[in-house]
Amino acid sequence: MSLALDAHLLIIGAGLAGYYTARQMRTQGHTGPITILGAEAHPAYDRPALSKAYLCGTTDLCDLYLDDPADPLDVRWVRSDAVIGLSTEPLGVWTTSGTFYLGDAVVIATGAEARRLGGHAIRCVEDAAALRAAPLAGARVAVIGGGFLALETAATCTTRGAGSVTVIAGEELPGLRRLGQPVAQALHRLHAQHGVRFLGAARALSVTPAGHAGLAGPQEHAGPQGHVITLSDGRRIEADVVISAVGAVPATGWLTRSALALDPETQAVLTDDTGFTGVPGIWAAGDCALWAAQQTGLRPVGHWQETVDQAQALASTLLGGVPSPMQEPYLWSDQHHVTIQAAGMLALADEVQVLAGSIESGDLLVSYLREGTEIGILGMNRLREVVRWRRARRIRPAALAA
Amino acid sequence: MSFRACSINDLVPGEGLRVTSVSPPIAVFLTEEGTVHALDDTCTHQDASLAAGWVENCRVECPLHESTFSLRTGEVDQPPAKRGVRAHQVTVQDGEVLVELSTAAPQLPPGVEVA
Repeated sequence: MSLALDAHLLIIGAGLAGYYTARQMRTQGHTGPITILGAEAHPAYDRPALSKAYLCGTTDLCDLYLDDPADPLDVRWVRSDAVIGLSTEPLGVWTTSGTFYLGDAVVIATGAEARRLGGHAIRCVEDAAALRAAPLAGARVAVIGGGFLALETAATCTTRGAGSVTVIAGEELPGLRRLGQPVAQALHRLHAQHGVRFLGAARALSVTPAGHAGLAGPQEHAGPQGHVITLSDGRRIEADVVISAVGAVPATGWLTRSALALDPETQAVLTDDTGFTGVPGIWAAGDCALWAAQQTGLRPVGHWQETVDQAQALASTLLGGVPSPMQEPYLWSDQHHVTIQAAGMLALADEVQVLAGSIESGDLLVSYLREGTEIGILGMNRLREVVRWRRARRIRPAALAA
Repeated sequence: MSFRACSINDLVPGEGLRVTSVSPPIAVFLTEEGTVHALDDTCTHQDASLAAGWVENCRVECPLHESTFSLRTGEVDQPPAKRGVRAHQVTVQDGEVLVELSTAAPQLPPGVEVA
């Protein structure tokens, strides 16, 4: 059953998934009204720069807006109204303002929320703005997490003139489990060259305000003196600024009593590989959702490109068309003037081979193999090689292949 | 006034060459069909070299994201970039690629300035 071209589409969530779904619907010919409900007060914005250019102060929020003010999407934006409940009959949602929004179809795109251990987090622009306003020059900064968000943030803190930057990655080398030894060594070396310190395999257990532990006059000591991080090996690290980048959880708390099936572990909305939830008229995409191929580990979770590709597939299916094939998964990260790009099924690899470059020169090109067959690639400042790899593997729509 | 950007022999069909003798740098492309084009090299969305991008159907796709730019006009088709890049006039003479820079103002991404 496809959506009539003049039907009302209700999109819940004004982030990347919500914006791109609306954009794809318009591109693919939908003429009916589209409403995008967002909990945030801002126009929809793009998040990757929050840990980089925005945090450095070289771009502002208006540079990150997804919609083009000179050529805006024909949609109705509702801001600052968080969704609190889903109704299947009639189809629609309730919000905190007491409003019920009806839709002929509903796309759930509420994204994910940062896990917060204490100190700063980086998920929304308010998080990034708080850290941008924090006095980092000369400060002792501790970053908890070893993923790209943590490493980008650590790099940005060195640019901001932090006195020291310590990363608690929770593994011997950053990225070791996901990216393999050569890349993890190269990342470690790249960051160490810029003064970033790593604490090995120890994990952060807790973050507490400094001066909290039994000192007289806690009122005077709490707050600006910073934090103490307790590690799994018993060490205690003091820091003036603590930043947690330890993953995100799907923003689906409002769906726990709904008709939708949620993943027992992550609470993500479970869907098929077109974003359909199985409940008539209700679809989901982006970081709040777990598509079938993500449930089986064939597709990655939480990547920018994955959400953009999902929006395309969802819109095509919703309009009764055939979605373009999903391309090889793709991600990128910028750290200390090195652009890291990866494509393919890195998570399934059982072997890593260095094709070119070296750990020392920070220009690695690495191949990921499974049972001897190449299934992925990663480049550090290897834009041309990664482009060639993705080009060679581009899957064309069947209709054009003939 | 045009300047010599490169030799035609420096170019690989289906790829771009970054030319840094001008500021902002430009990218010279040789298409599979054999035509030569020149654009500003920096994507208008984020600091990325279009010369490393994917050339197809007389367009180049940014090597980082999915915006593509016309090699003829520089216009952009889809986000994340919102603005096109400048297209420059190219003539090939005796195997040399001569470029006459556009007089329009360059559209650089936020945070990137002309050196």
